[in-house]
Amino acid sequence: MSFLRSPRAVPYLLLMPAIVVILAVIAVPLAVSLWSSFTPYQLTRPVTLFTFVGLRNYSRLLENTDFWWAFGRTILFITVTLNLELVLGLGLALLVNQITMGQRALRTIMMFPMMFSPILVGFQFKYILNDAVGLLNNALFDLGLITQPIPWLVEGTLANLSIMAAEIWMSTSVFAILLLSGLLALPKEPIEAAKVDGCNAVQTFRHITLPFLMPFIFIAMTIRSLDVARAYDMVRIMTNGGPAGRTELLWTLMARVGYQNSQMGMANAMGYVSILLSLVFTLYFYRKLVAARRYMGGVE
Amino acid sequence: MAQVKLRKISKRYGNLETVHGIDLDIAHNEFVVLVGPSGCGKSTTLRMIAGLEEISGGEIVIGDRVVNALPPRERNISMVFQNYALYPHMTVRENLGFGLKIAGEAPSEIERRVAEASAILGLDPFLDRLPAQLSGGQRQRVAMGRAIVRNPDVFLFDEPLSNLDAKLRGQMRVEIKKLHQRVKTTVVYVTHDQIEAMTLADRIVIMRDGRIEQVGTPQEVFEAPDNLFVAGFIGSPPMNQIDATYRASDGAAVLQDGLAIPLHRSGLVDGQPIVVGFRPDALAPKGHALFADNRRLSFDRTVTLAEPLGTETILFLPLSGKEIQARMLNPRVVAPGETLAFELDLGSVHVFDKASGKRIGGRSWQGLHASN
Amino acid sequence: MTIERPWQRWLIRAGVFFAMALLCVPGLWVVLTAFRPNIEILARPPVWLPQNPTFDNFRGIFGLLPDQQQGLPVARYFLNSLVISLTSTFVAIVIGMMGGYAFARYRFKAKGALFVSFMLSRTVPGIALSLPLFIVWSRLGILDTSFGLILVYLAINIPFTIWLTDGFFRQIPVDLAEAAQIDGCTRWQAFWKVEFPLARSGLASAAIFAFLTSWNEYALASQLTRTTVSKTMPVGLMDFTAQFTVDWAGMSAMAVLIIIPALLLTFLVQKHLIAGLTFGGVK
Repeated sequence: MSFLRSPRAVPYLLLMPAIVVILAVIAVPLAVSLWSSFTPYQLTRPVTLFTFVGLRNYSRLLENTDFWWAFGRTILFITVTLNLELVLGLGLALLVNQITMGQRALRTIMMFPMMFSPILVGFQFKYILNDAVGLLNNALFDLGLITQPIPWLVEGTLANLSIMAAEIWMSTSVFAILLLSGLLALPKEPIEAAKVDGCNAVQTFRHITLPFLMPFIFIAMTIRSLDVARAYDMVRIMTNGGPAGRTELLWTLMARVGYQNSQMGMANAMGYVSILLSLVFTLYFYRKLVAARRYMGGVE
Repeated sequence: MAQVKLRKISKRYGNLETVHGIDLDIAHNEFVVLVGPSGCGKSTTLRMIAGLEEISGGEIVIGDRVVNALPPRERNISMVFQNYALYPHMTVRENLGFGLKIAGEAPSEIERRVAEASAILGLDPFLDRLPAQLSGGQRQRVAMGRAIVRNPDVFLFDEPLSNLDAKLRGQMRVEIKKLHQRVKTTVVYVTHDQIEAMTLADRIVIMRDGRIEQVGTPQEVFEAPDNLFVAGFIGSPPMNQIDATYRASDGAAVLQDGLAIPLHRSGLVDGQPIVVGFRPDALAPKGHALFADNRRLSFDRTVTLAEPLGTETILFLPLSGKEIQARMLNPRVVAPGETLAFELDLGSVHVFDKASGKRIGGRSWQGLHASN
Repeated sequence: MTIERPWQRWLIRAGVFFAMALLCVPGLWVVLTAFRPNIEILARPPVWLPQNPTFDNFRGIFGLLPDQQQGLPVARYFLNSLVISLTSTFVAIVIGMMGGYAFARYRFKAKGALFVSFMLSRTVPGIALSLPLFIVWSRLGILDTSFGLILVYLAINIPFTIWLTDGFFRQIPVDLAEAAQIDGCTRWQAFWKVEFPLARSGLASAAIFAFLTSWNEYALASQLTRTTVSKTMPVGLMDFTAQFTVDWAGMSAMAVLIIIPALLLTFLVQKHLIAGLTFGGVK
């Protein structure tokens, strides 16, 4: 009782509601998830939640080629999209930074995709890429570039590329906006010093601008790695893992196994794999962010 | 009557103690300056008086109340912060009146007292501006205005001038001094700048590593520093300090280069390692200062560097393996490499014990004065 | 960096224009579709600009067309989305602000570890979290309720709000609250009269982020809501897709309904949004 009244208790009291909510909605369910991943739990047979089978789900996962395909595709998807988003976002930020008139309007337009629900982005691209009524095929027809409709979402490789394109459309803005604000905050003096020291534009960018932008790049990467799994929504509406599992990502596969096949135990095992994957990405960029901040002499 | 008493005040952060049981009595209406290098605990002490830091040990009395357990608002103090801490979302008028408004004063009363403070500090043209629209000096004045409006028992200043440029700092120093003469109040003022301390204080408290090194009037700490730290900290340029050994046979301090400085001091034993200190004012080229005949020591030295400052010139010269400084008042061009005859005023030589750093006796010839 | 040659300047402008077009066209196309009759959508050769703009698609999804037996309960979905998003945003801001303030102003044990734990709790993919939540919520009987979803969105939004508000409060010098206390404020008054007004714009942007997250969320909502009692707009959007047919017109109209509130809010506070993200992060 006396501790609760002392000033030392204040921060803990302030944090108490947040901790309680996170424990109740994230930590406890994750514990349930972990437990159920050691059981053959099926939604249709509730008692199975209490049968312990050890690592059986995991060992089956490791033998399952569908899982490995989805896993590999997810890693590829994350790596390709994050890198392309970074490059495109940096390019866009540098372009917009050159424009002095109407920059605010441009920034507003850049925020456009950020307020779109991923499910909307998915719908929008599903519609535009539709082989019969889609904007893209219609335009290509009208321009005389194609005579046969291109099955953007029906052919496996094209479907994967389409999904990546949609993801990049949705998230390049995050990079562009953060990097642009980094460019706007760039101190003038080091750049002027570099020019005096004889650097050309490329060298100045390479040695002055880019290092300064690093913390901003890592912030963007951290923010993005927090929500890469939003791609689930998009894929769900665009292809739902099809055709024939060719666009299946870890997230869609787990939803299918858990809810359609009601193999909750197995799905939770996959869930844990996906959680670890996200954790690794986020922690990696967060550490880079902390290091970059220290390097730039920023305050913690 | 608002005197401030510190009784064995200490501050601990976990296992780290940064203020070690300080005792200090500050009289009603006295202007006391806490001075010392950064990290000496002066700001922490001030913040404990303000109630912004918990007091780990000891007792603080303001007026006749022990205030340890009282929050800042119940201590009837006001404070000027290093970064002014003006409320950015309030105009100057609102900033000045905020404390009164919180205290529930009537609007007419708030207006009257804000106008009064504003008149004292010349803030009338700025009353409706936001802090962001003010210059550094103006912000400083608003911060002081906010402090005086509330008519506190004690004024606290936390390095208020350190963000101003040198010229403005000089002006504000004078304004603070005038302000104190006008609104007689107890003042505790923290600074790392010994000139501010010397010019403003009734009494100076010199701190180092969480302890008080010396308390005294500016005159006392300048003329009779208790130890080597105070001797080096107060005064600009700083006091020359040279290692020496006491020779009982002729009562002199023998420097490493053989020079013997007569001390005539009791309480020393033969061969005792000591430090001899004298300010640059006590050393001048022959003919540039009038030191008493029987208290002069002459020696020739080659000047390594001369720093002309207009009314005076600081000369750098080697002595016993160290570079020391002398002050020459009369105008004369001295070139580096020139050899001059210097005279040291023996009446202004301080002696410190090498081991403890503590002062030994009064000034060198005081003993003779007494016997004469 | 300054660009002097005119052709470079034009190249940059062309590049910017192209990028902006890529960002705008897909959305605009959906909006146009929302106002087209179905014949026009399926027409071949395609009709580029709407010839017969109509509100029928909107009437249709609300079940207001004369020849329609029953529309989808879109009005109900909209209301659900609004209630769930607003409630979870408001509570998340209050709780997150308390947490952010604690991180910004106090030193305490396990501070760093706690902060990182909050961040990491946010990384759990929605669909992975939905699996155990589905199990637990159904046992607790809050599956398919607004309350259940509000609780989930709270947990998703609190970490990010903490991250942002921590940044905002650290922007505000500690001196100000101390000066206020010396001016006679209690700790609470100092917060309420000085720090809170200064953090207000930051809190507004944190609120927008939280609202958008809840408003746009699909993965969790699609599993934790089942009926009109609690289904939200993004989940409702999927009502339009059958096995082989898609109602493009209806979905486009629904999409417009989803995007409008988000758009309005974002434009209202866009200045703070960017500042919020970068200040919270860098400084």
